[in-house]
Amino acid sequence: MKKNRGMIIAFLTPAVLIFLAVFLYPIVRTVFMSFFKIGSVTDSFDLWEFVGIANYQKLFGTPIFIAAMKNIVKIWLYGGIIVMLMSLLFGVILTSGIRGKKVFRAIIYLPNIVSAVALATMWRQYVFAPDYGLVTSFFKMIGADKLAETLWLAPENSFKALLVAYCFGMIGYHMLIWMSGIERISPDFYEAATIDGANKIQQFRYMTLPLLKGVFKTNVTMWTVSSAAFFVWSQLFSSVTANNATIVPVQYMYMQIFGAGNAVTERNAGYGAAIGIILCLCVVLVFTICNIFLKDDDLEF
Amino acid sequence: MKKKILSILLATAMVAGLAVGCGGKDSGSDSKGGDKLVYWAMWSEEEPQAKVIKEAVEKYTKDTGVNVDVQFKGRNGQREGLEPALQAKQQIDLFDEDVNRVNGTWGSYLMDLEEIAKDYEAEHGNEILFQIARNAGGGTLKTIPYQPSIFGFFYNKTLFAKAGIAAAPKTWAELDAACDKLVKAGITPITSDDAYDTSFIGYHLGRYLGQDGVKALVNDPAAKDAEAVNWDDERVLKAAKDFEDFAKKGYFSKKVAGNVYPDGQNKEFAPGEAAMVICGSWLPNEVKAMVAEDLEWGYFNYPAVEGGTDDATANNIANQVFAINKDSKMSKEAFELITYITTGEFDKKMTEEALCIPTDKANADAWPTELAEVKGEFDATATFYDWAVGAENNGDLATPLKESTMKLMGGTMTAEDFVKTCAAAIGE
Repeated sequence: MKKNRGMIIAFLTPAVLIFLAVFLYPIVRTVFMSFFKIGSVTDSFDLWEFVGIANYQKLFGTPIFIAAMKNIVKIWLYGGIIVMLMSLLFGVILTSGIRGKKVFRAIIYLPNIVSAVALATMWRQYVFAPDYGLVTSFFKMIGADKLAETLWLAPENSFKALLVAYCFGMIGYHMLIWMSGIERISPDFYEAATIDGANKIQQFRYMTLPLLKGVFKTNVTMWTVSSAAFFVWSQLFSSVTANNATIVPVQYMYMQIFGAGNAVTERNAGYGAAIGIILCLCVVLVFTICNIFLKDDDLEF
Repeated sequence: MKKKILSILLATAMVAGLAVGCGGKDSGSDSKGGDKLVYWAMWSEEEPQAKVIKEAVEKYTKDTGVNVDVQFKGRNGQREGLEPALQAKQQIDLFDEDVNRVNGTWGSYLMDLEEIAKDYEAEHGNEILFQIARNAGGGTLKTIPYQPSIFGFFYNKTLFAKAGIAAAPKTWAELDAACDKLVKAGITPITSDDAYDTSFIGYHLGRYLGQDGVKALVNDPAAKDAEAVNWDDERVLKAAKDFEDFAKKGYFSKKVAGNVYPDGQNKEFAPGEAAMVICGSWLPNEVKAMVAEDLEWGYFNYPAVEGGTDDATANNIANQVFAINKDSKMSKEAFELITYITTGEFDKKMTEEALCIPTDKANADAWPTELAEVKGEFDATATFYDWAVGAENNGDLATPLKESTMKLMGGTMTAEDFVKTCAAAIGE
C-alpha cells in the first residue's frame, strides 16, 4: 500500500484538479456572483458591485420572471405526465415481443438524433404554419374549418404548440430508459406469473410497475434536469424578443446576461447567476423529493 | 521497477497532454498582435454583406500585403463572445455591430477616431450617420458608420394602384383612408412580424409622446426622468385605441397575431398578399428571392398623428458601425481596411449585393431601385430615434409589450387591457 501511494497521487491529481477547476470553481463562482451586480459576465472582480440578496429579491418581484417560472413548472408537470406515460406505453409495447421492435424503436428515437434547432424550425415553419401547415391541412381534411383557422403560434396558443412539439421529441429518449428497465426483469417471472394465471394487465400492474420504481426515479431526474435547462425551443418559437407565453428562466437569464432582443438593454450577470442558482435548487429539490418517496432498494430481483 | 518507471512516464505524458490540451491554440489569436489584422464580423458567412467584405479584404491584402483574419461571428456570436475576448486581451483589431450596442455596451474598448478619421469624414462621411455615431459615442467619434437603415412602412405600389390610392399616407388619418380602400378592394392592408411589433407600437407611442416620453413610459433604466410619463397617461390609451380601431376595421392581417419572424414579410408581403409591412430598409434584401413579379417597391415614414409630439421626420435611422480596439497595435491598418469596405467600389457593391443604402456620400446616386422611395424620406429625417423608439429598452417589459401588441393587433385584447397589462408588467 505504501509503495502505491505515490502512484495513486500521481494518477488522481490531474483528475481531481480538473474536477475542481471545471466543476467546483464555476459552481462556487456562480453562487458568489449572484450576490453582485456585474455588467459583463467576464468583468474582473474590481468591477463587481456587492448587492447582497437584492438580485433574489428583485427576481421574485419581477412579473416576467414569475411568468417564466410558471411556464417551466407547466412544461415540467404537463410535459412530464405526457412524456412519462407515452414513453412507458411505447416501452411496454416494444418489450412485449412484438415484431419489428428494432424498427419501431429506431423510429420513435429518431427525433433525438436530429438537432433541436432543426426540429423546432420544422414544427414552427411547417407543422404549425397557418396556410399549408400539417395541423391546418389535417383539420381542413376532416372538415373542422374553425380549428383549421387557429393561429397556433399566436400568444393564446403558442405554449400548447411548444409543449406538443417538445414532448414529441422527448418520448423516444425516455422510452429507451424504460425499456432498459423492463428488459432487466427476468422473463422467468412473467412465465411463472402466466402459469399462475395472471393476465398481461395484471402482470404490468403487479410486476412491471413495482420493479420499475428505480427507473422511474432516473426518468424523473433526467426530465427535471432537461426541463430546467429548457432554452432552445422557447428561443426558436419567439424569434428576436422572447414570448411572454413561452419564456423560460434560462431564456430570461440569457436576456439578462447578453441583452434582450434588438435594443440595447441593461445587463447584469449577477442577476443571471441568481436565476441559475434558483434553477439548480429546484432540481435538487425534485431529486430529494424523489429520493424520499421512491426508495428503490426495497425490492431485490 | 520497470513498471514503476513506465507508470511515471505514462502519468507525465497524461499531465503533459492535459497541459497542451488546455493551452492556447493558434498563434493567430494570441494577444501579442503583429503581422495579422484580426476582424470580428457581425455577419454570418453566407450573408451577401459577408461576400462583399471577403472581396474587399482580398483586395486590401493584395494591395497592402497585410493579412487579415476575418471571423464571421454572426449577431449572437458577437454579442456573446466579443466582450469576454476583449477582456481576455485576445487580439481583435476591429469589429462591427449596431451603433448603439458598440458605443454603449462595448464603449470602453473603443479607440477615439476623431483624429484618424478626419480626412475620411470630409471625403466620404454622410452627415446624418456621423451625427448619429457621435451622439452614440457621447459626443466623440469612436465608430465609423456603414450599412445605414431606416425603419418604416414598405408598401406594394401595384396593390396601392389597384385600390386606387394615389399617394403614400403621411398622417394616421390618411393611412386609415388608404387601408379602407384596400379592404374594399379585397386586399389585406397591413402585416408585420413579431420581431417588429414592439417597434410598431413604439413608433406609434413615439409619435404621441416623443422618444423621451416612450423611454419614461417603459421605465427605461437609463431614462432621464422615468416618472415623466406613466401608463395612465391618456395619450397612451389613445395610441392603443388607434391600434384597436384598426384591428376592428380589419386593417391588420388575420395572421398578424401568429406571425413569427419572418412569416409576415416572407409569406404575406413578398408574395403580394398584404399591401404594407412595417420593417427596416434591409427588407428588400431579405425577401429578394421570393417577391411577387409585379411587386413595385414603395416606402413611407411612419405617419404623424393628430396632436402628437413628433411628426414623420422623426425616425429610427440605425446603422452598423466599425470600431477599432483601443489596444490594437495595427489601428492604422484597421482603419485602412474600414475605408476599403465602406467607401467607393465595395460600398457600391454592397448596395448591389445586399440591396442596402450606400454609406459613402460619393455613392449617393447608387441607391438600389427597391429603395428609391426611401431616399427622400431618409434625407428628410431630422430627429433620430433608437430601436423601437426606446420601447424595448426595459428588458422586463419588452416581452409582455410584444405579446400585448400582438393581441391588440389580432383583435383579442382591448386598448384598456393592453394598458393594464403593460402597467402591471412593470409594477405600476
